[in-house]
Amino acid sequence: MQEELLRIKEVSKHFGGVYAVNGVSLDINHGGIYGLVGPNGSGKTTLFNIILGLHKPDQGEICFKGKRINNLAPHQIYELGIVNSFQLPRLFYDLSVLDNMLVAARGQQGDRLFNSLFLRGRWQNQEKELIKEALEILELVELAQWAFSPAGELSGGQRKLLEVARGLMAKPTLLLLDEPAAGINPVLGKKIFQRLKDFSHNGIAFFIVEHRLEILFDFATWIYVMDKGRIVIDGEPQAITDNPTFYAIYLGEE
Amino acid sequence: MGPLIYSCDIIVYIGIFGIVCLSLNLEYGFAGLANFGKVAFFLTGAYTYALLSQIGLPFYLCLIASALISAIFGLLVSLPALRLRADYLAIAVLAFGEILRLIMKSEKWLAGGDWGMAVSPIFPYMGSYLLYRLENIGLVFLCLFLCFLVVQLLTNSPYGRAMRAIREDEVAAEALGKDRSRFKAQAFMLGSAMAGLAGGLYAQYLQYVLPGMFMPMVTFTVWIMVLLGGPANNWGVLLGATLVEIFDRGTNIVKDYIALPVDPSNLQYILFGALIIFVLLFRPRGLLKESAIRTKALRLAHNARRAVKNKGSQ
Repeated sequence: MQEELLRIKEVSKHFGGVYAVNGVSLDINHGGIYGLVGPNGSGKTTLFNIILGLHKPDQGEICFKGKRINNLAPHQIYELGIVNSFQLPRLFYDLSVLDNMLVAARGQQGDRLFNSLFLRGRWQNQEKELIKEALEILELVELAQWAFSPAGELSGGQRKLLEVARGLMAKPTLLLLDEPAAGINPVLGKKIFQRLKDFSHNGIAFFIVEHRLEILFDFATWIYVMDKGRIVIDGEPQAITDNPTFYAIYLGEE
Repeated sequence: MGPLIYSCDIIVYIGIFGIVCLSLNLEYGFAGLANFGKVAFFLTGAYTYALLSQIGLPFYLCLIASALISAIFGLLVSLPALRLRADYLAIAVLAFGEILRLIMKSEKWLAGGDWGMAVSPIFPYMGSYLLYRLENIGLVFLCLFLCFLVVQLLTNSPYGRAMRAIREDEVAAEALGKDRSRFKAQAFMLGSAMAGLAGGLYAQYLQYVLPGMFMPMVTFTVWIMVLLGGPANNWGVLLGATLVEIFDRGTNIVKDYIALPVDPSNLQYILFGALIIFVLLFRPRGLLKESAIRTKALRLAHNARRAVKNKGSQ
């Protein structure tokens, strides 16, 4: 039996008296593309932040690769292989696009104080490889020509693309994407999802919040529907679209 | 004293404060830490030097100890203080500097209290004030060069990239695997070490230490240098140190030669205030803007890209 990559059990989080996430349980398996949909304020982003270690859950348990990660710091969770792409891009705006990518790279020799000064040859060789990888990903999201410009000069859609590209650069085992296609033209949005699918064949799992259902449902293997802090239904995209509850919650139709 | 000796005196000051500026640049310019307690570590270095040289340690050991003990103080302060939000951090370290100064002022047994204590210079007086200053210029600029090298190498590496990322958005950097507490504590420690080294050099150059030398104004002067020159640019902050020192010491020297209606030292704080307002209004990023990260691999990639572009346009 294959173990779940990520297992969330009865996780709750409240702010003041409001439960943003209320007893959520779900599983994510290797190489799957999981969608998370639901109305605004239903707790999707909060759930992501809990997985990332940015919020501590009040109750419940989160296990990644069989290891409890509830009380780990975000940088430790990154080390284990969970990476996030934020809904509102949080780029390093004064750094170049390429430097933004390089920050995210995993296992860097040169981000230790001692190594950066005294083992320069070692990280310089590594950096050459990383730059190559970064430029390939940037090529993919059509940002390569901006590689040496400050990230602050990018347009809104391009910032979003860089946010996603940075997540891919981090070589995650599980990549959380918070509305990756928002503000991006449909052709490019589809192209990115197509590319994510290629990555998922290599074993990366994706957990995606997305309001552009027409794109998401084409690619996702499993959909979780969230409302008022709970997972109300889940299933294959086809089953969800056929489910009347989904329409009532999400589209406001009877 | 002639103008030549005065100029040499200014150069020594530029060197010493240049080191402090580099240290603040590492903390604030690159890592985004608002250290308003710079003078605390400058003081620690100066008093460490004074006390250790008194018991007869050779000068190089005193200087190393100045840096080390300041680094330890920096680390100790940073561990609780870095948990605070930026503005609280600023207030906490500002208070720390004042506490240290008041301790040195009231504990008379330790270092002479308010009267301070004499410090033996590294270079003994050989009958020439000029020679004394030239020797100090040599030593101070050697130290400045070493500090510059360290900061420059550090900030142009993946380490420096992570530091700048934390400055830009610490939540995003943390989510990308950068342990912000580690980076901040290390920046604080290294910065404090450099400030301590500068303090040691300062104590032996002036040949005395007393609490009055370590008023909070010292911290603010260093901030003006960094903001004026350009945070996150090591050449910029040295430019800032040079300009502010020339202005600061220069006005004090000019009054010996020209009869002015007011004593410029009384005007200095006002002029400094005005300077900061002008800088923030018209050059909010300082005279020189942030220097981009430069590494060998980035340069190669950049050149390759430019070559492709040129080919395309032909």
